[in-house]
Amino acid sequence: MDTVLEVKNVSKSYGEKIALDDVSLNVEKGDVFGLLGPNGAGKTTLIRMINQITKPDKGEILFEGEKLSAKHISQVGYLPEERGLYKKMKVGQEALYLAELKGLKGNIARKSLDDWFKKFEITDWYNKKVQELSKGMQQKVQFITTVLHNPRLLIFDEPFSGFDPLNADLLKNEILELRDKGATVIFSTHNMESVEQICDKIVLINSSKKVLEGKVKDIKQRFKAGLFEIIIPGEYSDDLLIEGVTKTDVIYNNGTSAIKLKIEKGRNAELLSNILRHTDIISYKEILPSMNEIFIQTVKQANNE
Amino acid sequence: MNKLFIIIKREYLSKVSKKSFFILTLLGPLLMTLLIVLPVLLKQNTQKSYDVAVIDNVPKTVINSDTVSFFKGKYKSNEKVIFSYADDVTQAQKDLKEGKYDMVLEIVKSNDKPPIKAFAYFADNEPGLEAKEDVIQQTKQIFRNSLLMVNYDLSKEDIAMINDPQIDTYITDIRTGEESFAEMKMILGAILGFMIYFFIFFFGGQIMRSVSEEKTSRIVEVLVSSVKSVYLLFGKIIAVALVGLTQLGLWVVLTLLLLGGFKIANPDIFNTAPKTQIELNERVVSADKINALDIDKQPVNEVLQGLNAINVPLVAGMFLVYFLLGYLLYGALFGAIGSLIDEDADGGQFSLPITVPLIFAIICVPMVMEDPSSSLAQWLSIIPFTSPIIMLLRIPYGVPVWQISVSVAVLILTVIVSIYISAKIYRTGILLYGKQIRYKDLFKWIRTKNS
Repeated sequence: MDTVLEVKNVSKSYGEKIALDDVSLNVEKGDVFGLLGPNGAGKTTLIRMINQITKPDKGEILFEGEKLSAKHISQVGYLPEERGLYKKMKVGQEALYLAELKGLKGNIARKSLDDWFKKFEITDWYNKKVQELSKGMQQKVQFITTVLHNPRLLIFDEPFSGFDPLNADLLKNEILELRDKGATVIFSTHNMESVEQICDKIVLINSSKKVLEGKVKDIKQRFKAGLFEIIIPGEYSDDLLIEGVTKTDVIYNNGTSAIKLKIEKGRNAELLSNILRHTDIISYKEILPSMNEIFIQTVKQANNE
Repeated sequence: MNKLFIIIKREYLSKVSKKSFFILTLLGPLLMTLLIVLPVLLKQNTQKSYDVAVIDNVPKTVINSDTVSFFKGKYKSNEKVIFSYADDVTQAQKDLKEGKYDMVLEIVKSNDKPPIKAFAYFADNEPGLEAKEDVIQQTKQIFRNSLLMVNYDLSKEDIAMINDPQIDTYITDIRTGEESFAEMKMILGAILGFMIYFFIFFFGGQIMRSVSEEKTSRIVEVLVSSVKSVYLLFGKIIAVALVGLTQLGLWVVLTLLLLGGFKIANPDIFNTAPKTQIELNERVVSADKINALDIDKQPVNEVLQGLNAINVPLVAGMFLVYFLLGYLLYGALFGAIGSLIDEDADGGQFSLPITVPLIFAIICVPMVMEDPSSSLAQWLSIIPFTSPIIMLLRIPYGVPVWQISVSVAVLILTVIVSIYISAKIYRTGILLYGKQIRYKDLFKWIRTKNS
């Protein structure tokens, strides 16, 4: 796979405050890449560097193998966490202006804008002033201005904040559709649920350092703690358990019991045959940790070190 | 460069299409025209003249076998007051009550001091301040002229000379052989200096608000991901200057059009010489020889002569140079301050250090006007933060070339430094939210190499 963005040993400090400390990461083409971390960890600093708003003190950033430069500006689309548009400009004019600043020619921008407005069914907003729109509507407009120039790399900082669930879903599908069309997405958020839904890879930054990196699937495997859920008919009894297995929770509901167990490595087969000696098994599955749990655990651990 | 142009275009169009621009553009010429035309119109329309009947009861005197009245026949009517003469007080007072006159003025001689007493009566129309003043002044003047004529046997010409000693003064620059016209120069300098002061504040404020608006609305984050942040600042500075020039141009054109329109609609409007005055004056001893025609002519001539004495292209050129440089100097700094303003409330602390020199310059204006070549004036016209205003005051009087060169050179250097510093503060300031910014931070940003 092609690497779209390569961040190599990047450091940045503001006065005494270190914003990023020797951070490296690779974003492959077609990825939805999650950039995670608590507030103030350095995500925004990194995003601003990718957007060439600021420069790294040390290290370098490569875009498709080339050192980041002015010509790459038109290849990047950026939706900042703090949304903002000129309130008094007309929606259409404003979108065209922002596209022109990104280097798009007027007539091409116009065509692309028409397509997006039709897609979002908002063609009648064209001549409205931004301040006449509701906050959610403004967010939609801002999303369009982010993708209008058809960038190869899209950076979304908390894209779902301010959207109702319906529009958030619409937006999610748009992002995935853009990905399918060949765009690469960097996605910065606190919303771990959405990370599980759409991210392929993540990097977790804490206090200016990279503390976790990898594919979402792999990370979940890495963090699994031997937790399983077994559902049996009837009620639970301690006879079902064997040595090396601890029960963490039992829920009895409508004649079945859902038992949560922590099983030491290599004891699964013996446990299952022991249970089958007493009763049936309706279902048996491993419980993988949620990204939320992984996030909290990793950050806490990093802070304690 | 292309992106800079796109920014300038948007900034310019968004400001020019604002309602406030439209209103100001119309209001300026309207106010100007009204200022010029209204006094004339008011005079014409409120010209309800005040009728005064004069009864001269002072005994007549004989000079060279001529019997001469002290007061009778010597008042000058004008657009405010029309004088006529009566003999009988009782009859005149009756006429006054009937509305034939607005005032009856009886002048008598008495034995105690002062020997002349005037009794004025009015009925329905109390005299306004102007009419009252006119009657009193004329009475005094006539008394004085008559005394001079009767007691000292002076000719009309002598009296005229005493009343209005005419001395033509020629203050000449010996190097150029040109006349001085100091007042003209003073007024011109003051107007130019104040214009620069006003423009810097007005347009500097616009830049500041425009920058802080982008920061507060947070659109700036998207903008700086598309263009270099200094482009945004320069784009604004250039666009606001263009807006200012557009407005100025429109003001001049519209004012001229309006004035022209008035002149066509009412050809007499700027020619208000009351014709009655001239004839009535003939028999009057008073030597007030400045009749209406002279009043109209003389200042115009003086203005033209004054303009000849002043090097207009030099003054105009210097005005543009100092306006441009002063605007760049302060405009850039105002832009930097705008980048520090998060909500509208704060930022005042940072604008203080740049408004103080401007206000200081204005405070010094009277002193400089008094003596345009004093050492204070020379220093203030070289110090870059005051020179755009103070040098303009001095330019009409003629300033040594070396002083202008030094002043402009220092100003240009300061402009470069100011733009450099402003750009550094701006690019950090616009991306900083919700943080208390101190002067210490600003110095740190200025020293930082990378953004």
